[in-house]
Amino acid sequence: MVSDIWTILAKDIKLDFRSIENYFSMLFFSIIILLIFAFALPADTHDHKTLAPGIFWVTFLLSGMLSLNKSFQMEKENGSMEALLVSPTSRGAIFLGKMAGNTVFIMIIQAMLIPLFSLLFINTAISHFGELLLLSFISTIGFTAIGTLLSGLTTDLRFKDILLPILLFPLLVPLLLASVKITQGILWSQGFQSELDWVKLLIGFDLIFLIISYLTFDFVMEI
Amino acid sequence: MTVDAEIHSGLINLQTQYGDNNMRRILGILLIPAIAGCGWMIFFWAPSEVSMGIVQKIMYIHVPSVMVAYFSFFIAFISSVGYLWKRKEGFDIVACCTVEIGVIFCGIAIATGSIWARPTWNTYWSWDPRLTTALILFLIFVGYLLLRRFTTYGEQQARLSAVIAIVGCLDIPLIHMSVVWWRTLHQPSTILSTQKNVIDRPLAIMLWISVFTMALLFAYLLSMRIELEQKTRAYLKQIANIY
Repeated sequence: MVSDIWTILAKDIKLDFRSIENYFSMLFFSIIILLIFAFALPADTHDHKTLAPGIFWVTFLLSGMLSLNKSFQMEKENGSMEALLVSPTSRGAIFLGKMAGNTVFIMIIQAMLIPLFSLLFINTAISHFGELLLLSFISTIGFTAIGTLLSGLTTDLRFKDILLPILLFPLLVPLLLASVKITQGILWSQGFQSELDWVKLLIGFDLIFLIISYLTFDFVMEI
Repeated sequence: MTVDAEIHSGLINLQTQYGDNNMRRILGILLIPAIAGCGWMIFFWAPSEVSMGIVQKIMYIHVPSVMVAYFSFFIAFISSVGYLWKRKEGFDIVACCTVEIGVIFCGIAIATGSIWARPTWNTYWSWDPRLTTALILFLIFVGYLLLRRFTTYGEQQARLSAVIAIVGCLDIPLIHMSVVWWRTLHQPSTILSTQKNVIDRPLAIMLWISVFTMALLFAYLLSMRIELEQKTRAYLKQIANIY
């Protein structure tokens, strides 16, 4: 099981690095979103302090969507999805491997996004790099757990590009609220302590959706 | 036989196969006096609430709609689990029909809530937890209906939408908890409150009568919708057999 997951993860990472333009396109997409926010919002840096957590997580959601979109798209080519499904691996292992692949991809983008975010909006954010990255990791687990499930679910459908966000974003509301609140605490130099309830909610969200997605992925991937 | 004639005779078969059922007819006949009586009682029997006045009467639609909406999402959840477990088409039919009705009642609840909130809270919309939860639920299940639209009738459609219904329903407690922590303005629930005397007796009785009427309406709509869905599917199967 673990070796299966590892194989799929290694394959995904290798493929990602071969088509390194994926990273660049996603990075530049994130930069552009941050820029749009910088243009659209008032120049007053005092306001940025309250708005910044929201900006950060909206950018996270939008750029994360790109990762989910490509996750199963690359399997569709050359019928490799069928090959994966008939191979002697459990559906659960495929799910966890794919999810780990998405997590790695998003985490790399996040690590580059935080300094940029700090540069454009809050200069002090870079001093909380570790905390923000840890928070990103916890949120990314929940995001990719449910995102990978829905991305697998919508791959074969018409209008999947619009269907995926419609299905995904309402489900992610708790995650978004929790992440924004915790980020606020971190940016006000209070670390995770000030929002412990939200941290618990976030971890609960991760666990619940990790389990549900793992269990229901079998049904999504039947042929 | 030509294709047209074949379809036509198939339709006649369907009509006899799924003819009117008596239970539903009785339900429909019961519903007319129930709705009329409930409407009369709301305006002429139930006393006006002291602080809110006539505005409060919209609660007799708002509260039952919310209850019916949540109840139907709950049924949808149960039958979706049932479908994935047993793979009987009946579960899928029930799930898709209850979600449709639930979305409608959820929409009614949000709309009536907004109308009520304007004179009471002095705003059409506030980011109050239960309002927000209802809205997000509405969005999740509209997504469910869209998913059904974008897939064609078949086993895959049933499977995928069951997964969405399950994930959506299990998300409800989390959404609710998070929006409660986020902002709070809504008055605490009165009808299910454990405290005594939050709500006057006649008002409470009136509320329960309207809940009962709405439940009756829900049962009627559901049985109609299920029959329609059965007919549609039988028809689709026949067409598929002919061509």
